[in-house]
Amino acid sequence: MQSFIIAKKELKLLIRDKLTATVLFVLPFAMILILGLLLGEGFGQKNDDLMRISVLNLDKGLGLNNKPWAEHAIDDMVSTPNIKVEIIQTKELANELVKTGKRAAVIIFNQDFSDRVNECSFLSTGVNPFHRDGIYLEKLQVLIVKDNKQPATSAIIESVCQIALLRIVMPWMIGKAFEKLGDPEFIELLGKEVSLPIPPSLRLLMPKEKIPLGELLELASGKDVVLAKNYREKVGQGIQTALTGQFKNYNLTGKSWASLTRSINNTETVKTLTTFQNDDGTGILKRGAIRYQILVPSFTVMFAFSLILISGWIFVAEKRQGTFNRLLSSPVSTPSILLGKFLPTVIISLFQIFFLLALGKVLLGLKIGLPTWSLTDWAIALIILPIATSFCVASFSLLIGLLSKNETQLALFSSVPVCLFALIGGCIFPWEMMPDNAKTLAFITPQGWALDAFREIMPSSFDNTTDFNLIWKSALVLTIMGFILIFVTWITLGRIRFSSS
Amino acid sequence: MTQVHSVILKIDGLTKLHGQFKALNSISFSINRGEIFGLLGPNGAGKSTLLSILAGSSKPHTGTACFDGMQIQPNNLKLRARIGLVPQDFAFYEDLTAKENLVFFGNLYGLQGTLLTKKVNEILEIIGLDDGKANQYSKYFSGGMKRRLNLGIALVHSPEVLMLDEPTVGVDPQSRNRIFEAIKTINAMGTTIIYTTHYMEEAESLCNRIAILDHGEIIACDTLQNLLSLTKTMINFSIIENDQTKAGLLQQKLPTLKQATLQGNYSLASHNNPTPEIINLLVNEKIQIISLQLDSPNLEKVFLSLTGRHLRD
Repeated sequence: MQSFIIAKKELKLLIRDKLTATVLFVLPFAMILILGLLLGEGFGQKNDDLMRISVLNLDKGLGLNNKPWAEHAIDDMVSTPNIKVEIIQTKELANELVKTGKRAAVIIFNQDFSDRVNECSFLSTGVNPFHRDGIYLEKLQVLIVKDNKQPATSAIIESVCQIALLRIVMPWMIGKAFEKLGDPEFIELLGKEVSLPIPPSLRLLMPKEKIPLGELLELASGKDVVLAKNYREKVGQGIQTALTGQFKNYNLTGKSWASLTRSINNTETVKTLTTFQNDDGTGILKRGAIRYQILVPSFTVMFAFSLILISGWIFVAEKRQGTFNRLLSSPVSTPSILLGKFLPTVIISLFQIFFLLALGKVLLGLKIGLPTWSLTDWAIALIILPIATSFCVASFSLLIGLLSKNETQLALFSSVPVCLFALIGGCIFPWEMMPDNAKTLAFITPQGWALDAFREIMPSSFDNTTDFNLIWKSALVLTIMGFILIFVTWITLGRIRFSSS
Repeated sequence: MTQVHSVILKIDGLTKLHGQFKALNSISFSINRGEIFGLLGPNGAGKSTLLSILAGSSKPHTGTACFDGMQIQPNNLKLRARIGLVPQDFAFYEDLTAKENLVFFGNLYGLQGTLLTKKVNEILEIIGLDDGKANQYSKYFSGGMKRRLNLGIALVHSPEVLMLDEPTVGVDPQSRNRIFEAIKTINAMGTTIIYTTHYMEEAESLCNRIAILDHGEIIACDTLQNLLSLTKTMINFSIIENDQTKAGLLQQKLPTLKQATLQGNYSLASHNNPTPEIINLLVNEKIQIISLQLDSPNLEKVFLSLTGRHLRD
């Protein structure tokens, strides 16, 4: 009961100190916002293992195997090692992503793309898409929207696009051309262009030195039209067979790169095709990039432990103004005094944690939890973990406040748990930016344990699982640390109160 | 048996060391229920140390202090509820109002509801903060008002013994009088008062009994009258030149009379006030007086006579 009286008084004093109360809640969020802006979009992003190619597919036509040519191109890119394809849903989105610098370039296959590929041919009547360096994209109705500020990346994306188009257009044109070798028009042309010498023994029957192949086939058919056509087809087939035999490493009729080159699919290639996911979050400020998934937990933990300084300050002020001695000379038991001083810090710490998480969620679109979480999971994440963290914070605050005789000592003593531990614990520089063994060292600090668990409940886009064992373990360690600290505080206060010299 | 019950605090052979320094050196005395007991001594005499032991905030190295027959120990929390301590320095929350401070400390001592409200209002009246000042933040109070609030907080739980550690340091005469009035009112309500001060006037005007403390030792402990009787009243007078022939007569009638080096000037020291006797003698013998100066005994002189030093040295 007396604990609650002391706690109520402490909270009343804190609420009356509006400046401190403001600093407690507003400063951490301001830091998150400012750092978020300063560090930029890429902060906290895991480096992609694969090159991302963004594609907008508007192709309405059909190509090989009744499948739009754009899909063939996408398949080709997806099958290329170290490349992942991201499908953009609309043209407006594609333009916006490039305009805002979120994508260096987006490849757009317009609606006539298949029709234009179908028209590509070596024939004079067909579309010739080639130039010295590759393919005329505009001839195929392909558009690449580029961000001028990212020329290197957009050039790489264009190269990937050129290679993919070459790999679909070239076999298609070769295959179609090879088919043409059997066409009557081609044999007729061949028959006119190829003349064979007539041996001298037959010159009595055919008084000339050479005879065109076409005329020879007609002679062979005995002027039978059907038979002549049959002979011409056989010549065509013969040419195709001969060419196939000659170039047996290739399937000249394949029409696809894989068939043409008789290539074996690289089974080791991981095919990655995704659709665009908006990382902007749902926050009012639309700033919910992945960086805030790191900044919010980091600063939530760091500022929770900075309460050590503020609570300690209140403790030292109480000693300075003599009221602490008055408390000690009252009939209130030592555990009640400790609990009375402990509870307000726990309450403030919890408020601060929830305030930052709520603001992060509303303003920055911070992702907390996963859709698959059960009610128990949410309770572990948002009740057990914050309470364990606040428990450890309050225990630390009490000990530091009790040991500090004045403000100078407090500043010195609290610099270790507030600043040094925050640094080692990964609150200031994320573990990703530190050497590999830094995370091991972080676990000597309560901040390290707390941060590890808080980052687990605020998953980043590249990690969509939650390790609840880790959260439980962190909460347990923080609670044990808290108990040890409060035990030491209890013993110390007892010595001060009952064994004073 | 009645005698036993009248003693509320009994101090026996109390010694307290601060390192090698003896802050209290085997002191013994007792305080009766309902009296105002003064602890008089210069700064550093050991008054605050003694109070902290009596309040249960500190442990003696040797000796005992008993409250109503029970030994005072720092871990005896129940005993603390029967004692009120007014520390020398202000000890209240400056960001709380006077009333909130009283309510908070009243709550700590287990007071609640209407009893607490009644007690708080009563204390506010006693310490003279019952008007609009009760709801003002105490950080805006004057030094005197802060002193009174400091006193009020120690009273809120109705202690049987109230210990005041130099409660008038730095206050104006008006506030000092209010504090004295408050102390007398509280004492009249049955509270035993232990009042430490180095102002002899305060001890003289307030206390029934006084212990004089110096260098951690009790050098005297008695009623004011008895302490004053340790020194003599000094009367100095001078007579006109023509009557100097009667000096022999005066010397005869007043054997302890001393003649000063300046002719016609005399002085007389006595445990009783000799003024009426001298005036009667001079009138009867028709000796004309030029001047007569009475130097009454006080605690300063008592201290001087006991230690050879002035109290404020």
